[in-house]
Amino acid sequence: MGGARTTGSGRPLVPLPEAWRDRVRSAVSQLAAAGAVMVLFVYLSFASDAFLSASNLFNIGVQSAVVAIIAIGMTIVIITAGIDLSVGSVAALSGVLGAMMVVKYGVPIPLAIIGGVAIGAIAGLVNGLLVTQAGMAPFIATLGMLSVARGLGYIVTDSVAVSGEPLEFKLLGQGKLGSLPIPILALVVVALAGHFVLTRTKLGRYAYAMGSNLDAARLSGIPVKRYLTTIYIISGILAGFAGMIAASRVNSGQPNFGIGLELDVIAATVIGGASLFGGEGKIIGTLLGALLIALIRNGSVLLDINTFYQQVIIGVIIWIAVFWDQYRRRRAASA
Amino acid sequence: MRVRLSAALAYAAAAIVLISSCSAVTVPGSGPGEGSKVKPSGPITLAVVPKAIGLDFWDSVRKGSQCAASKMTGVTLQWDGVTAETDVTGQINLLQNFLTRQVDGLVYAATDAKVLAQLTQDALSRNVPVINIDSGTNPQPETVPVFATDNVVAARKAADLLAEALGPGEHKVAFIPFRPGTVTNDERTTGFKEGLAKHPNLKLVAEQISNSDPNIALSVTENILTAHPDLDGIFAASEPGVVGAVNALNQAGKAGKIKFVGWDASPDEVKGVTSGAITALVVQNPFRMGFDAVNAMVQTVRTGHVPTSEDTGVTFVTQQNVNDRQVQAILNPSCENPPV
Repeated sequence: MGGARTTGSGRPLVPLPEAWRDRVRSAVSQLAAAGAVMVLFVYLSFASDAFLSASNLFNIGVQSAVVAIIAIGMTIVIITAGIDLSVGSVAALSGVLGAMMVVKYGVPIPLAIIGGVAIGAIAGLVNGLLVTQAGMAPFIATLGMLSVARGLGYIVTDSVAVSGEPLEFKLLGQGKLGSLPIPILALVVVALAGHFVLTRTKLGRYAYAMGSNLDAARLSGIPVKRYLTTIYIISGILAGFAGMIAASRVNSGQPNFGIGLELDVIAATVIGGASLFGGEGKIIGTLLGALLIALIRNGSVLLDINTFYQQVIIGVIIWIAVFWDQYRRRRAASA
Repeated sequence: MRVRLSAALAYAAAAIVLISSCSAVTVPGSGPGEGSKVKPSGPITLAVVPKAIGLDFWDSVRKGSQCAASKMTGVTLQWDGVTAETDVTGQINLLQNFLTRQVDGLVYAATDAKVLAQLTQDALSRNVPVINIDSGTNPQPETVPVFATDNVVAARKAADLLAEALGPGEHKVAFIPFRPGTVTNDERTTGFKEGLAKHPNLKLVAEQISNSDPNIALSVTENILTAHPDLDGIFAASEPGVVGAVNALNQAGKAGKIKFVGWDASPDEVKGVTSGAITALVVQNPFRMGFDAVNAMVQTVRTGHVPTSEDTGVTFVTQQNVNDRQVQAILNPSCENPPV
C-alpha cells in the first residue's frame, strides 16, 4: 500500500526507497488489469462498429454495476484474508424480499430498497458473528449462508418470481439521472465510499492490518472481532443493494438470481489485484476487474463469439491474475 | 463419534427393515411393467421431482400433480427439487434418497438425459415404476413413459409464427436459448432452426444463451441490440430468457417494433403479450403434465398397467386470444378448473 509512512504507530516506518518499491509493486498489479481493459477496449473499437457508442458504453457500465458493487464489499473482505461466498444468494434474497414488500405489503419503494439492504446487513451480521464469535473459517460460514439465503428466498416466494411491481420500481435499475443510468451512479457513489473507507478510515487500515497478520493486529490492540463483523456487514449491505438493482432491472424479484454470481465477484476482485492471502487489494483494481469481465461478455456478443468461450476466457484471465500475484510475492520474498 | 456411529447403524437397520417389509408386498412380474409391485389399495407415496424449483413452469407442474393427488384417496405426494436446472448430481442424490425412502413411484424431469438414464435403471431394478415429465432419458426404457411437450414440433411452429409476424422480405433474427446440453433446450434449438430453414428470408444473426437467468438474458439482449441495431425479430426459448429480453426491448424503446416470440407463460410474460411487447408465446401445459403423470403413476402402482407416452400439447398465446376462456385456464391453472 501507498501509505506506509503515514499509517501511524501500528506499523514500522519503512525506508523511503522500499516504500516506493512497495507502491510500484502493488500499482503494477492494477496496471495489469488496466492494461487488459485498455487493450480489449481498443480492439473492440476497431473490431465492432457498434462498440464505441454512448449507449453501448452505458450498457457495459450498467451490466458491470451489480458485480462491481458487490465486488467492492468483497474487496474489503478479501483484504482481511476472508471471503464471502454468500453474496449471490443474499442478493437474490434481498431482491425477492424487497420486491415482496412493494408488491404484497405496499411498502413505499425507497423504504423497500432500504428493507432489501437491511436484509443484506442481517445476513452479513450473521456471517460476521459466525466468523468472529463461533470461530468458523469465512469460507465455511459464508458457504452455509449461501445455502441458507438461497433456501429462504425459495421459501418466502414459494419458488416463484415476484412480479407485479409498480412502474416506479424500475427506477433504481433502469432509471437515468440526466443521461447517466442510475446503476452507474450508484456504482460511482459506492466505489468512492469504498475507496474512502479503505484509505482514510480506521476500518480500512485495520482491514489491511488484519489481513497481513491477524495475530499481530490483535496484539497491537485492534478490536479484531468488532471490525471483522462490520466488514461482513458491509459485504452483506452491498450484496443486498445490488440485489435490489438487479430486481429493478428485470422489474421482478427472481429467486433464481445470482446463482454462481459470487464467482464473477471474486474473479473481478482477484483480477483487480486483491490477494486471497489478505493484506492487498484496491477499489480501483476491483472496478477494472468487473469492467474487464463485462467487456469480455459484451465483446463476445458484438463479435458473435460462441458464449462458451466467454467462460474459458474469464477463467484464463483469473489464472493469469493469480499467477501474477504469486510471482510478485515470491519475488518480494526473495528480494 | 460413537453417537454418530450408532445413529448410522440405527438408520441402516431401519432401512433394512423397511426394504424387507416392502419386498413382502412385491408381486414380481404381475404386469406389463414386469417386476413392479402392485398395491391395489392402501396408502401410497409418490415422489415428484422437477428439474428445479424457482420457476413458474415447475410450480404449475406442482399444482397439477397435487391436484391429481387430492382427487384420489390414499395418495401422498413428495414434491422436492434442486435449486438449479444444471445441478445434475444434486438431482441424482435427491432421487436416490427417494429410492432409499422406498417411494411407490417416481415422477421426475431429467436434468440430464444420459446421466439420469442410470438412475431410472436403478429405480426399475428396485421395482419402483418411473414416469418422466417434461424431459426423459437417453435411452428411454420402454416401460418408462414420457409426459411432455413435443419441443421440436412446437419450436418449429415458433419459427413459423416469427416468419408470419415479420411478413415477406429479408429479416434479421436473434435466438436466445437457455441451457445447451439439456434435452429440452437442444430440441427447441433443433426445432427452431428447422423452422427457420423453411423461411430463407429470415437470417439468424445472433445466438446467445441466457443460462436461465433473466439478468443475463437482459444483458445479452442489450448487447445483441447494440450489435444489430436493425434486428427484426427475437425468439427466446425459456421463461427467464423472455423476461430478460422483454426488459431489454422496453428499455431500448423497441418493444413492439421488434417481433418477439417467447416460450412459457409467467405473469410477467403474459403482461408482455397484453402490452404488445411479445408477439406470441409458445405455452406448454405444465399443469396437465403433472396432473396426467400423477394419475398415470397411481394407475401403474394400483394395477401394474404401464401407460403410453403423451404429448401434453402447446397453445400459442397472442394479444388476440389471451383473454379466451380456454387460454386463461392454461395460463392460470387451478384445481377447480383444470386445463386437462
